[in-house]
Amino acid sequence: MQDAWEQAQRALLCLQVDPVGLGGVWLHAGYGPARQAWLKQLQHLGLNLQRMPHHIDHERLLGGIDLSLTLSQGRVVTHAGLLAQAHQGVVLLPMADKLPSHTLAMLLQAQDQGVVHGAGIQASHPSQFAVVALDESLEDEPGVPAKLKERLAFWLDLQHIDMRQCEAQLEALSEKELTDIQSLLKTLQATPAQLHALCEVAMALGVDSLRAAMLAQRLACVNAALLDHTRVEDEDLQFAVQMVLAPRATRMPASAESAPEEPTPEPEPPADNNNDTDTDNTPPPAEPQALEDMLLAAALASLPPKLLDQLLLGGAKSKTNSSGSSGQAQLSKQRGRPLSPRQGRPGAGARLHLLATLRAAAPKQKLRQKQPGQTVAIRTEDFHVQRFAHKASSCIIVAMDASGSAALARLAEAKGAVDLLLQQSYARRDSVCVIAFRGSQVQTLLPATRSLVRAKKALAGLPGGGGTPIALALKHASEQALALQRAGMTPLLVMLSDGKANVTIEGLGGRTQAQEDAMKWAQQWARLGFASLWIDTAVQPTGHAQELSQAMQARYLPMPYVASQRVADAIAFIR
Amino acid sequence: MANTFPFAAIVGQDEMCMALQVVAVDPTVGGVLVLGDRGTGKSTAVRALADLLPPIEVVLGCPYGCSPKDHHNGCEHCAALKTDKPKTAKRPVPVIDLPLGATEDRVVGALDLEKALSQGVKQFAPGLLAQANRGFLYIDEVNLLEDHLVDLLIDVAASGENLVEREGLSVRHPAKFVLIGSGNPEEGELRPQLLDRFGLSVEVRTPQDLDLRVNVVKRRDAFDRDPDGFKADWADANTKLRQRILKAQKAVAQLEIPDDLLRLCAKLCHALGTDGLRAELTLMRATRAYAALHGAKKVTSAHLRAIAPLALRHRLRRNPLDDTGSGERVQRSLDEVLA
Repeated sequence: MQDAWEQAQRALLCLQVDPVGLGGVWLHAGYGPARQAWLKQLQHLGLNLQRMPHHIDHERLLGGIDLSLTLSQGRVVTHAGLLAQAHQGVVLLPMADKLPSHTLAMLLQAQDQGVVHGAGIQASHPSQFAVVALDESLEDEPGVPAKLKERLAFWLDLQHIDMRQCEAQLEALSEKELTDIQSLLKTLQATPAQLHALCEVAMALGVDSLRAAMLAQRLACVNAALLDHTRVEDEDLQFAVQMVLAPRATRMPASAESAPEEPTPEPEPPADNNNDTDTDNTPPPAEPQALEDMLLAAALASLPPKLLDQLLLGGAKSKTNSSGSSGQAQLSKQRGRPLSPRQGRPGAGARLHLLATLRAAAPKQKLRQKQPGQTVAIRTEDFHVQRFAHKASSCIIVAMDASGSAALARLAEAKGAVDLLLQQSYARRDSVCVIAFRGSQVQTLLPATRSLVRAKKALAGLPGGGGTPIALALKHASEQALALQRAGMTPLLVMLSDGKANVTIEGLGGRTQAQEDAMKWAQQWARLGFASLWIDTAVQPTGHAQELSQAMQARYLPMPYVASQRVADAIAFIR
Repeated sequence: MANTFPFAAIVGQDEMCMALQVVAVDPTVGGVLVLGDRGTGKSTAVRALADLLPPIEVVLGCPYGCSPKDHHNGCEHCAALKTDKPKTAKRPVPVIDLPLGATEDRVVGALDLEKALSQGVKQFAPGLLAQANRGFLYIDEVNLLEDHLVDLLIDVAASGENLVEREGLSVRHPAKFVLIGSGNPEEGELRPQLLDRFGLSVEVRTPQDLDLRVNVVKRRDAFDRDPDGFKADWADANTKLRQRILKAQKAVAQLEIPDDLLRLCAKLCHALGTDGLRAELTLMRATRAYAALHGAKKVTSAHLRAIAPLALRHRLRRNPLDDTGSGERVQRSLDEVLA
């Protein structure tokens, strides 16, 4: 198997041959020598490379009217957008993990349709391109949105590349070679058996999206053309499986699950069995079966070891990581809903809306006396300013006590109450964040989301048992609240617990210390000044919860028998 | 226009294709909401509609594509025409993509900058809503659409006209379109009001059948290699499908729904506790369109049974958290009512 750097270089060559067909590259790597070396080689490929900053505006992205030229020349001058300029080339997206979702939507629409429509003009331009998305996200960040990632054939991870490795230089294809390879590529096609094998491997690895299989098929052809094969060979398929399918795997293939410790190709025993039975009954399908096994082995060999651990933990985790990122990205956009610009003087926080100003001035140009040399006559009465309607949305942090004392009947009831609460916040378009605490750990079951399906799932899977780490829970809730505030939302805490802390802030046992820690963090919460509600879930309230809630300056609601509707009502009240 | 994949060549996703055909037969059924995973061919199917449907006749030069038959009610352009028999042109059914980040200007329409700057003329440049008139408006990831655009759509989808009062313009134009939305419910919820604007809802899953998947990849590859050749290969099948829809469009006006079937519809909606009469109306129209599509002479309870889950499952007055069971709930009520 090739090492990561060789693969990355190979990806470059493939991209040079067929940028449009392969969709592009997701490059996960921090700023560093490996990334720089790779990008430098990308620049030397001779591809039409357009760098797209993540704060690009629609006019520049899609093309539109060039206002300054139009005004100076007195006729409409349009300019092509970046996407049209990138036709048959590559769009380089630095910080793709931070790309605003509306920009992404435009990008993907153009890539899907191969055509870009200008903003404010009727014309459209062809726009077929590959995307190179640079991802610098850390482990616990959402990273590049899945909808972009899945359109890109190559998922490269250059985070753990040795400095010396990336000194190996790449010989870019010459013009002549490139035309030869591209004309060879046109004649290449995977056989039905090979396609079958690719799809089977994709299914075995739990790669659901059909785009993956299509990209793998394409890559196999490109690789064959690169190696001057006259037909698609096993080697090409192997490469495609390693590059496209293996990184997307969401589960271990059934045959390998029994021996997860050895990712090296050892699915032989089941493969042999299959082959034996097959050859006994029907000889013809034996070959594709062998082909699939070989491809599966290739995929297994290229699964990174860390990924294996993650996969073995079950599909649930990878699911939450892969989806929902676009939902989260929306949070940052809730700061203001743009209103149409209105007439007024800029300044005092109001920003001049250039376009609207020019729009207001444009029809009057003929009437106005222009100074010599002046092309546009703009008067103060034309000034328009940008407006936003700001409606801070709130996010309810639900902290659930899942400890032993709360576990038995209470947990189920509390879940019911939270369900109702979620319904209410759904109606109000609030978001919800659920954290659970038990034993010595606090867990964010669900980062702030508006998706109730996910909230519901997160709650349903919550187990109970263990000590009650109230201090830890409050600490975690405070951190969450501050993060939410930074994102422009108003946090609101709902604590569901009996208040009987018995795990300290260090995560150790000891009732007295635990109570003290809890009190300390309760006071800390009060200092933050966010609203909160404490619902005492104890069967017989003992006063612990009441004391803590007083320290938090929270509303206290004893709820010996948590009545779901009452909880929900109470929350509506403190808002 | 970019090349679109032929509708007839779409493999699998029968429910989605059926729903799209039903609304093509009778646009008054309302929109289609497609929920499901990525990479399942949602966008492909919707964009393929443009090619599938027969071209429509429009008043020549009308920016909203008014029909020559009823050009009196609605747009300014056609109202200003002197004749009763305006010149006409044919053009494909519009299938307009509304991207998530679209500005309000782009959607609603705005002052025509080109004209304003070059000629100093104040004129309205129609937006996406105008372009979508008499066709389809497709919103991918409709559940992530900004609230202000959702508000706008809810209004226009209900009234069938777009009223623009901005930038010194005052324009009213027809905007009757079939709303098609797709999205992944795991990423965000849909506003109940917007949900209500969709007549049918379908759920799509990645096909788990190997041969089907191989077929999808094969056809897509063939299309990518030679779009024109591929389309020519499928032209016959596409034409056949188009004929079927055309026939159904004609037939649907003649089809009567027997009273006892109407009573069944009402009973079903009552049993499921859906709000208002819209559910019944949609159910009735969808059943009729479905029957017409299948060339039936009479609308029967079998047609109702087939289409009811699509028309009702997103309308259940339900716990918004618990949408896993809505399909089954409709099925159960169906079994009870039709028993």
